[in-house]
Amino acid sequence: MPLELLLVLVAGGIAAIAAILHLTGRSARTVLTAESAKRAWLRHCPGDTVHHVLPAATGQAALISAHSGAGLVWAFGADTAARPLHGAAISERSGGLHIRFNDFSAPGVSVGLSGAERARWQTVIAGSGGTA
Amino acid sequence: MSGDLTYPDATQLAVPFFIAAILAELLWIALKKRGGRYETRDAVTSLIMGAGSVAEGLLLGFIAWGFLMMLWQITPLDMGTSLWAVLACFVLDDLRYYWVHRLGHRVRWVWASHVNHHSSQHYNLTTALRQTWTGTFTFMMVVKAPMVLLGFHPALVLFCGGLNLIYQFWIHTEAIDRLPRWFEAVMNTPSHHRAHHGRNARYLDCNYAGVFIVWDKMFGTFVPEQDHDRPDFGLVHNIATFNPLRVAFHEWAGIFKDMTQPGLTWKQRLLYAFAPPGYSHDGSRETTAGIKAGHLARHPEDAGTPGFGG
Repeated sequence: MPLELLLVLVAGGIAAIAAILHLTGRSARTVLTAESAKRAWLRHCPGDTVHHVLPAATGQAALISAHSGAGLVWAFGADTAARPLHGAAISERSGGLHIRFNDFSAPGVSVGLSGAERARWQTVIAGSGGTA
Repeated sequence: MSGDLTYPDATQLAVPFFIAAILAELLWIALKKRGGRYETRDAVTSLIMGAGSVAEGLLLGFIAWGFLMMLWQITPLDMGTSLWAVLACFVLDDLRYYWVHRLGHRVRWVWASHVNHHSSQHYNLTTALRQTWTGTFTFMMVVKAPMVLLGFHPALVLFCGGLNLIYQFWIHTEAIDRLPRWFEAVMNTPSHHRAHHGRNARYLDCNYAGVFIVWDKMFGTFVPEQDHDRPDFGLVHNIATFNPLRVAFHEWAGIFKDMTQPGLTWKQRLLYAFAPPGYSHDGSRETTAGIKAGHLARHPEDAGTPGFGG
């Protein structure tokens, strides 16, 4: 197959599939509740025990207090991702917190939080031995 | 001697079929409201990984080709290009695929290349195209050497490898539940390969087959998909990025980071590269064996069932 034709097919195919998926509502991000965040954490960390869940009002992420320590579970497209907060760099951003993991496969996430929420999250994180 | 033999690049020729099949699967899911899930960024990432894999083949394919042609020059054997030779090559190549794939899950150096294929939490036809960009660096082309030395021309070996990959495309779907019993007994199917993509403790390191599932049955790695324990797709530690560069290189970055930790012996550094994924010098991580043992400690009722010694 000529390279030019292959390039057109590949680029056109990716663009067409992306457009169809987006236009049919398949770009929606999952929304986390306390219960779904707990389930998501236990899916990522089977065998752990969750003590407390603090979801963001936006449903974008939730702070987890677990037997293994503090962690974050967040919406990752239609699915979720989770990481322990041990070793993470947490900084204030306008409108929330930015959490940077020391992990090439999970570079970081900005969590939208109101002022009161952010203060509460920082208190919980500090209480769990993290840095905020 | 069939020295200047050429075959078409089957994978490239199949691109229009891949696109049409993805659209058909998507339409099926939309109409039936079952049979799988699609998410825009996940699917686009998978497709870009597929395009990048083809590009890597165009750029670096000459390395494997040069190596195999060098072997072809020294072998006194020539199996020719008859239909029987092509069939024998296809079956032998599938056996080769089984072992390369098994190494791909059991040796971190090879896993670093293969991991991206498992890095989606979805399982649809785009997942099939989420292919490696770094296969050349695993040096797994050496496993093709015996076939060339047996007299199969490198062009035929690579052609059969392409057909093997094309076969595996259609089994990356939830739209097909189970096929007739005779087919499930011999061939790799959507059901068998869903189990392979499961991150559940039960399904870790099983069903390495490409085309014929009989290899897993012969070598003791077959685990049938269980209706009461549906595969949960993705990695034990799922990645949190849609960036194709991070998807392609994250495990290589992990190997580098682990190997360059201060205070390790040379043996420990090498084990971080070549031991099974999950190895750690201080026991802070778990390999498949540890994950399965942990599961059985929590669920002793699963002991002796498929994937847990059953």
